[in-house]
Amino acid sequence: MKFLVFSENLGSLSQMITYLREKGEVIGVGIEKSSSEAANFGASRMYSIKGDILSDSAAKLLEELFKKEGADSIFLSSSILGREAAGILSVSLGVGIVPEINEISFDGSKAKTKRFYLGGKTVLEEESEAKIFTVSPGISDAIKSDKTSEVVSIDAPQSKIKILSRQSKKAEGSNIEDAKIIVCIGRGLGKKEGIESVKPLVEAVHGEIAGSRPVCLDYQWLGEDRQIGLSGKKVRPAIYVGVGVSGQIQHIAGMRGSKTVIAINKDKTAPIFEEADYGLVGDLYQIIPKIVEKLS
Amino acid sequence: MVDVIVLIKQMPDLEQVKIDSNTREPMIKNVPKTVEILSEHAVEEAVRLKEKYKGKVTAILLGNEQSSAIMKKAFAIGADEGIIIDGYEENNPANTARVLATKIKEIKHDLVILGNQSADSITGLIPGMLSALLNEPLLGNAGKIEVTGTTVKVTRILEEDNIEIESPMPSIVSISQEINEPRLPPVMQIMAAGRKPIKTEKIAPVISKAVTLVSNRAPRSERKKLVFEDMDKGIPEVVKVLKEGMK
Repeated sequence: MKFLVFSENLGSLSQMITYLREKGEVIGVGIEKSSSEAANFGASRMYSIKGDILSDSAAKLLEELFKKEGADSIFLSSSILGREAAGILSVSLGVGIVPEINEISFDGSKAKTKRFYLGGKTVLEEESEAKIFTVSPGISDAIKSDKTSEVVSIDAPQSKIKILSRQSKKAEGSNIEDAKIIVCIGRGLGKKEGIESVKPLVEAVHGEIAGSRPVCLDYQWLGEDRQIGLSGKKVRPAIYVGVGVSGQIQHIAGMRGSKTVIAINKDKTAPIFEEADYGLVGDLYQIIPKIVEKLS
Repeated sequence: MVDVIVLIKQMPDLEQVKIDSNTREPMIKNVPKTVEILSEHAVEEAVRLKEKYKGKVTAILLGNEQSSAIMKKAFAIGADEGIIIDGYEENNPANTARVLATKIKEIKHDLVILGNQSADSITGLIPGMLSALLNEPLLGNAGKIEVTGTTVKVTRILEEDNIEIESPMPSIVSISQEINEPRLPPVMQIMAAGRKPIKTEKIAPVISKAVTLVSNRAPRSERKKLVFEDMDKGIPEVVKVLKEGMK
């Protein structure tokens, strides 16, 4: 089988290529600034898009490449751009689509997929003849291959939309999706100043700090780029430490891929303990200094 | 003048969806429907555009007789007309988009406003599908909408940057939650909304076999679940795991 794989995000693109390269031949499509790096993950060819790409022009480009490459299916990362382009593509190609997959296998031309449903409460297992898939971030770790892809530069097609200006969002430090250890704070912290008590732990484990939806969106104690969950980032660190995180299902959907989960919460009945390998029931403000002391 | 069609989605109240402990399947039958949160922001934005530029707001909802409470809420915020399309109960984005597009084509409009994705299935496919089916440009994930003459300008909120984009109307604008804070309509408006007629249009059921459902179950947790209440035991265990992970 031959897969056409697109993402404007380097992390998602390399994860998807890693995941699919065992199942068939992969043709990657990325943006200029990340394609040379994305060429290290085992795609046979990597198309590098020059110029601004919007959802209509991305769909047009992928339609052309799909036909030119004679690919069997198209995978797009489920980013804002990817989801929109996927919707347009499914209409213009007139083929079936399954969104937000986090697992896929093939039985002949039939695709068996899994995705979250009901806000992450359940998983839908589906079978289809779909040709387009949007892929939830974190479908796999990104693992380099010893094969380097041939990089082919390609111009972005014309869009119906005009870009007037671009404003970069200032990110606070590095990307939580790349962190080996994540310390995630929840509303159980009680107050913004509580972050100061968590920071020594973050430093002691050389990790990154992240937050649940209320912490990042409602209270804005942390930036939006640090939000873990269904509506935020999906992470798969070696260790996830939830501090005062209750474990709402939407949050769990964003951290389920973590290798080991540690939870600290004073409420014994918090759902996070159902999703934890190690749980500590108690006051985080007393527990954290003790952990930090023992780590140093 | 800006005539706006706003699309409202209803979905099961997720808070009330319980999981059957034997089958691990969701018990969804008698769960009441609620308005998808982004739809409320979409209605609010449509009404704000009307207040600023004049024009008309038409709300479209896929539902049934029980959906009138949701439509009345849209009326209370300020929607002028409401159409409930009754008979489509499926959860297949391609069919949803087709049913909506068929109706939208019948109504004169400058903008179609909808949420960029919904909280239950989170597919985010409808805006792109509508754009292709209606052949109207999509300005997606708007944090701000401005209209000048026959042009719409949108601040598009992306993961790593915000871009200002524009296109001629008619066009589709999907909105992000941060675009506004929906108002709490005054009691007088809520009462008036209750008396306003809702148009209900029956359609024949749409049947698709494109995707076969194999199962719909709560995922099983395979975690160790070693929960400590005694910190003298718990903390050393956690420290050991952290030290191992840092290597």
